[in-house]
Amino acid sequence: MTEEGSIEAGRRRFNRWALAPSLIVLLVIAVVPALYLLTISLTPFQLVNPGSATDFSAPLRNYRLLPGDPRFVNSLWVQAKLSFWGVLFQVLLGMSLALLLHTRSRFVEFARTFFLIPMVLPPIVVAVIWKLIYTPDISPLYYAAGLLHWTMPSLTSSVDFALIAIIVADTWEWLPFTFLMVLAALQTIPEEYSEAALVDGANRLQIFFYVTLPFIAPVLVISAMFRLIDSVKAFPLIFLLTGGGPGSITEVTNYYAYLLAFDSGEIGYSSAVTVVMLLLVLAVSFGVMWIGRRREALT
Amino acid sequence: MSEPSGRTAGVGRQVGIAVVLVVLLSPFLWLLQMSFKSNDLILQFPPPLIFRPTLENYTSLWHSAFSASFVNSLLSASFSTALALLLGIPAAYALSRWTERGRHTLSFAILVTRMAPPIAFTIPFFLFYRWIGLLDTVTGLVLIYTSFNLPLVIWMMQPFFESVPPSLEEAALVDGASARTIFLKIVLPMVAPGIAATAILCFLYAWNDFFFALILTRTNARTAPVAVVNFMNYEGWEWGKIAAGGSLVMAPVLIFSLAVRRYLVSGLTAGAIKG
Repeated sequence: MTEEGSIEAGRRRFNRWALAPSLIVLLVIAVVPALYLLTISLTPFQLVNPGSATDFSAPLRNYRLLPGDPRFVNSLWVQAKLSFWGVLFQVLLGMSLALLLHTRSRFVEFARTFFLIPMVLPPIVVAVIWKLIYTPDISPLYYAAGLLHWTMPSLTSSVDFALIAIIVADTWEWLPFTFLMVLAALQTIPEEYSEAALVDGANRLQIFFYVTLPFIAPVLVISAMFRLIDSVKAFPLIFLLTGGGPGSITEVTNYYAYLLAFDSGEIGYSSAVTVVMLLLVLAVSFGVMWIGRRREALT
Repeated sequence: MSEPSGRTAGVGRQVGIAVVLVVLLSPFLWLLQMSFKSNDLILQFPPPLIFRPTLENYTSLWHSAFSASFVNSLLSASFSTALALLLGIPAAYALSRWTERGRHTLSFAILVTRMAPPIAFTIPFFLFYRWIGLLDTVTGLVLIYTSFNLPLVIWMMQPFFESVPPSLEEAALVDGASARTIFLKIVLPMVAPGIAATAILCFLYAWNDFFFALILTRTNARTAPVAVVNFMNYEGWEWGKIAAGGSLVMAPVLIFSLAVRRYLVSGLTAGAIKG
């Protein structure tokens, strides 16, 4: 009994020593910065005016300014458009690709790996790739348009096309993610389901809508939410392709916060923008976790 | 009907898949072929199907400041991976032998660090580094990369530890081994493949970073992704060199990530669903 007790105590001591360093480091490099961000957002801190970092005379001033700031409101709207269309295309195309590749053959299994390339590339390389595609002098796209006697406008500096150009690049980069998730789900569908439906005289379309789709629906929702959360991070594409322009057509909230802090030195106001963005992302994350849990409980 | 899910692919379908693959990868292949062309050739349309590839872009790149930034990328990614593994592996082990509640709380914390937009960390880190003089240092990059790599290690390693049968540890306990010995001598060797996969993912996340390096470095600690962008801004429009720079930055990523593609999804969805 006492021996068992000492083993148990030794185990607990070991656990504490194993966990403590990580918890302390996480506290210092994640929790403390988050609290600091919150604190700074209550000040009018500007880089050119160091004294303003400790000015808490009007703590909620930044937050009061936000609703009346047309650039901030516009940035939320741009982000909403980018996220909506990007996620929609990624889910639809990713699912189509998964359905196309959900088949047995040596060649297809070999090819699957190559479909993942856009997703694993460093994001800045993806931005460079699309920069080359969108630059008229060196782009095969503009050459092809020229062959068809069509003068294509400069996509990334056009009011009508700049956001579309970003959405296309973002979709290209991330459709492998939804593809991979959906393919994994497809592979868990028991073959008997569609066989039974076939015997009952269902056609392919009916099988898709009544057997396959209900089965992969939770995965579609989960991957859409993951993409939704990460769509906030589309920084390199915007940085390299449009710089938020023309005007503020492609200026998402993340980019606006970046410009405020590191271009204009408005650290306090930028922190407030970031805090609001963080809260929105957290709300969606809660949703993802809730759905994830429920799904885990169901299966 | 013993055939598992999915019909066998017909020839038509296979051709279709091949065409889709080529179309999808064409932007990527365009960058790659450009890196082997001289600038005159790049501007030539219609593009010649057969040309004599040149390594000129790569060699001139290597003799420029780019090689130093490549080394910076290598150093910051390696050190942050090592640090995250050193701290995170024991923590993941302890958690895998722990109660459900503690794990759920932690998985939420991990999710938050994974989901937060990078700028949320950048502002406090920038101010702090400016104050203690860590701006533009590899050390500074290692620290901030650890902020997302450590949660990733803790998340990724847990299922590997769970797959080690408890009976092994119990047997060693009976033989009088301490918890530390069991961890180091019995459990760790069994999860070696998991450690390798996790290490590669950590390395890739740090290597791929652009945002943190853009803001927290200037010249001394500039990483390869930032250096590529700098070409665009300062070295005119040397497309061949830009393409070669991009190709060099993506080379290690392509090699490594294809090796761990099985774990890519669980790394990407860390925190929300079980890997």
